Formats: sequence, C-alpha cells, structure tokens
Amino acid sequence: MQVFLQTLIGGITFGAVYALVAMGFSIVYRTMGLVNFAHGSVVMIGAYAASTFYLATQLPFAVAIVVAIVVTGLIGLVIERFLRPLENKDFTLMLIGTIGFGAVLEAGAVLVWGATGHAVPSPVATAPIDLAGVRIPTYSLMVIAIAAAATGLLALFLQRTKRGAAMQAVAMDHQAATAVGIHVGRSNALAFAIGAGLAALAGSLIGPMLYVNPTMGGTLGIKGFAAAMLGGFGSMPGAIVGGLAFGLLDSFAAGNFQEYSELVTFLVFALVVMIRPTGIFGEATVNRA
Amino acid sequence: MFFARFSIAAAALIALAACAPPGQQAESGAGATGPIKIANVNAQSGQLSSLGQWEHKGVKLAIDEANKAGGIGGRQIKLDLFDSQGDPTVGTNVARKISSEGYVAMLGTAESAVTLAMAPILKDAKIPNITSGQSPKLADLKSPFLFLNAPTSVTFDETLAQYLVDDKGHKKIALISNNGAYGSGEHDAFLAALKSRNVTPVADEIVTPDQKDFNSNLAKIREEDPEVLFIGAEEVQSGLIAKQSRELGIKAIFAGGAPMGTDVYAATAGQENAEGSAVSSPYLSNDASEEIKAFAAKYKAAYNEEARMHVAKAYDGASILIEALKQTKGEGGQKLADAIRGVKRAGLLGNYNYDANGVGIHETKIGLVKDGKVVPEAAS
Repeated sequence: MQVFLQTLIGGITFGAVYALVAMGFSIVYRTMGLVNFAHGSVVMIGAYAASTFYLATQLPFAVAIVVAIVVTGLIGLVIERFLRPLENKDFTLMLIGTIGFGAVLEAGAVLVWGATGHAVPSPVATAPIDLAGVRIPTYSLMVIAIAAAATGLLALFLQRTKRGAAMQAVAMDHQAATAVGIHVGRSNALAFAIGAGLAALAGSLIGPMLYVNPTMGGTLGIKGFAAAMLGGFGSMPGAIVGGLAFGLLDSFAAGNFQEYSELVTFLVFALVVMIRPTGIFGEATVNRA
Repeated sequence: MFFARFSIAAAALIALAACAPPGQQAESGAGATGPIKIANVNAQSGQLSSLGQWEHKGVKLAIDEANKAGGIGGRQIKLDLFDSQGDPTVGTNVARKISSEGYVAMLGTAESAVTLAMAPILKDAKIPNITSGQSPKLADLKSPFLFLNAPTSVTFDETLAQYLVDDKGHKKIALISNNGAYGSGEHDAFLAALKSRNVTPVADEIVTPDQKDFNSNLAKIREEDPEVLFIGAEEVQSGLIAKQSRELGIKAIFAGGAPMGTDVYAATAGQENAEGSAVSSPYLSNDASEEIKAFAAKYKAAYNEEARMHVAKAYDGASILIEALKQTKGEGGQKLADAIRGVKRAGLLGNYNYDANGVGIHETKIGLVKDGKVVPEAAS
C-alpha cells in the first residue's frame, strides 16, 4: 500500500508538469491547428530563465517564474510573427518552421549557458510531509498547487473574457471569426504567447526537480505531446487529464516493469490512441489540419 | 546508346573507386612529413556534454605540451575535435569519417555505448583508440586497437564490495541501476562482486537511462530498509536518485563508481544528500599526490577551473598516446597499437600496465563525499 501511494505521489507530481506542457501544445493547436514542435525547447528555455534568475538574484522563486514566463512569452510572439505569413497558406512549412525554431532555441541555449547545465536547489527547504510512512515533498505540493491555479486562471480567461472568447471563436471557425471582426493574427499570437508562458511555468517548476540542461526539452516535449494526444489534442480538460494519466502511467510502469517501463508506457499510449484516435476528450471540430 | 551505357559504367566505376577502403590515402608512414592527425571524439552537446568538455580539455593540455616541446620527431600533432553527442549512431558516423580522413589515432569517448559502437569500424581501419569508457563490455571485445585509460567497472565494484562488505560488514545492500551501457556494466560487476561474498541484494531495481521519477522504485527499496544503496548510473541520474531517496526517508549509505565523485552528482543530489556517499575511483581528489597536485595547478592555470578525474584520465590517455607515437615516429596502425600496449607509465590515475584486453589500470581507491568533495576514506 505504501509503495502504491508513494508511486501515486511521484506520478501526480510529474503528471502536473506534463499537464502544463500538454496545455501549451493544445492551446496553440486549438487556435491555429498547428503542432508547435518548438514547445519542448521553450520549456527548456523557461527552466533556464527561471533558474538563472533565481540563482543570480536570490529573489523569491515566484519572481523568477514570472520573469521566465515573460521571457518565453516574448519568444512565443517572435515565433508566431515569423510563421504568420504562412498561416493558411503552407501548413507543412509552418510545422517545419516550428521544428527549426526548436533547434535554434537549443543551440541558443548552448551558446548562452554552455552545454553542461546546472542543478537548481529546491526553493522550499522544508522537510517532506510524512503521512503514515508516505512521504510527500513540500515542493511537489507546491508544483501541484501552482499547476492547478494556472489551469483555473486559463479556464477563466478562455471562458469569461472577451479576448478569450475571441480565441475560442477563432479555434471554432477562423473565417467566421474574421467576418465578425476578430483579428485572427493577434489571436494566434496570443495563443503562442500563452502556450510559451505555460511552457515556462512547466520548465521553471521542473528545474529544481531535475537538472537544467539544453537537451532537457526533448523528453519533456515528447511526454507532454503524448499527454495532449492521450487527453484529446486541442482540448484543455483533455490536456490536464492526459498529463496526469501519463505521469501515473510512467510512474507505475517504472515500478512494475523496470527496464521495460518506457516500452510499456508508450505501448499503452499507442493502444489508447488506436481505440480512441481523438483521445479521451477529443473534439473533432478543432481539426483544421 | 552505347555511349550512354558506357558513361553509366564509367560513372559506376568512379563511384566505386571513391569508396576505397578507409585509411588508404592516409599519410601515416614513418617517412611522412606534416602534422600527425589525432581525433578527439566526445560529446560536446547533450546531457553528457560536461564529460566531453572535460575530456577535451585534458587531451588538449597534453597535446599542447607535447607540441610545445617539439612534437613527434619535429612533426606537430594536429588535434581535431568531433562531437559524438553521446549518441552511438553519431559515433559510428564519426568513426567512418576519421578512418577515411587519415587520422592515426583516436582519443575518447567518455561514453561506453558510443565507444562500443565505434570500435568495430576503428578496428577494421586499424586506428588505435584510447577511450575513457569503463564498461566491462569494452574489455570483452578484446579488440587489439581499443585501450581503456581507466579500470573497468569490474575493478571499481570489486573494490567497492570489498570496502562495504569485508571492511564495514554491511549485508543489507540494495541496488538501483539503469539499463544503459554504463549502468548495466556497473550492475553486473557489483552483483558479481556481492555474489562472490555470498551476499544477496535485498532489492535490485532497474530503471531506464531517461527516467526522472524514481518514487516507485525507491518506495520498494525503502520497504527493505537497506544499509547501503548502490547506484549504477551517470552523474545526473545518480544525483536525482540520491535526492529522491532522501526525500523518501531512505537512510542508507549511497555507494557507486566514479560519477558519484563529481560535483555534478553532489549539486544534483544537494550537498547534504550526497554527504557520506562512498565512491570507488582511481582518482579521488586533486591533492592525493605531489604529481596530481602539480597537474591540478597546471590545469587550473590553463582553464581557470578545478581538475577532476575525467580531465586526469583524458590527460593520461593522451600522454600514453604521445609516448607511443614517439616510439613509432608518428606511424599509426598495428605498430602504434603495439607501442601503446608496451607503454608503462606512472600516470595520474595509477600505474598503467596494459593487458591483452586493453585494460591499463587494475585498482581503485575508496573515497567519501564530504561537503560536496571526495576525501580518501582513510583520512576521514
């Protein structure tokens, strides 16, 4: 039972981060119909930005997270601006463009921070909470809380604000949205910026749990993408459920299948996607590709 | 029509000629002039790039010294760096490249998996390779062109088991290791060393090299309440395992090979978590001997950073190669391989004395991590 609960804790913590990454993938996809392959690299830049700021200034970690979100949000805007001329013209080129941006970001990180990377000390120094032998690191609780808060804020934005509603409209039918006077380009830029901001949040949170280096975005990107697919690509609740499901799947596979854990995780993933190609919360309407 | 067919045949012939066996056009004879080309292959990007960069600095230091002292019989050594990205596939491409471009020898890589992939190509091209890998699988290849500049995991883990079981009397030992080339080598070697002492591990968890969350594996280990947790993984992963172990309340002593003697391990784990880790390594610290102290000072002057084992073993490997090249007067191939095997050198990592499998050093020492640095066991 203890092993089960401990595995659950690990799975949920990493799952919360995957969910944030998945939400970033989904918000860009639902608005533009585009898979942003640079997303993993943006996560990495976010991790670097937050950890470098945190280590250099000794200001609270929350400030570092905000700085990272601003930095990567700007990067998101730049990527969108570069891709805008291709919007609704050449979709394949846009996809390749995002892959290119990913490579550029990774190479840029090596130039700025070097290839070696750095470890980030945990921002909360308190001992783990002990619940009948199950140990919950306080930092894990913080990660889960922040991820939940970010999800709530995003939902509020999309459903309760004019800009959010405009983004939803573009996601549903961009031609009709243009007809009623919504600026599609601006809406796309906002989607990219929010996606990048979510990536930064995920990156900054995972930094102290891992080791920050230029290639860390690869695995996180793939797992976040798989999580988004699992939940239903383009769906926000899907991204959250998919992220948590993927984190738990990963965690339980590690305990039960040892060296075959990765194989098992992705086999289960492939099976789910075969049975339900649109994912758990699949929305067929968002498919603009 | 005939002409067209003829030109196709001619083109095919030219293409065939272009695929001449690698190394053929190399200028490596005893009478050759011009610089002697040596390739340094190491990860310069990717998660293992810190190793690759240290290795390159160590190699470069030795080569620069040799060139300043007049080179090999008046010929300078030209050192070229190739990025293996820590990836075996990239490694094989680099191996083909260096065997077709006239390199007489290769130094690196620091990753056993990459070296294993490159070894057959280098053997065919008769290019001696001094590697920093330490997987027992490297010695098992018995390639006459592959040399290790450090002991294999067998030696590392035999010394470690001797210390933990024979000297300290620990019997409740748990293992966690990854299934990569280095991790599985460590796992097998340590398990064999335990078996020869009639000790059965209380837990034996295998993880993947990419794994980041060890809660499940460590929760199982915690149930056995081991005295010692053996970690068979690279620097960053060892650090993550140590950190998550302490978070879960595992009180066991961490034990492992050279990766756990690095500052990357201590920083990733957090200094208080790494405290007391037992490390088996041929190079414990920068002030273990007068020679090492002098080397560390020289290194610091050149690069303004502290020396470490990876730097020292790369320097040792390059020094052995230089010594052998002096004997062959710059000639490569079988002659150079034989010369390397004959080199007896009191190096920074110990006394080099190559056996038939290409292993040069046959002992390690035990150190303990204290304040993020390794101190020799006896002194603590």
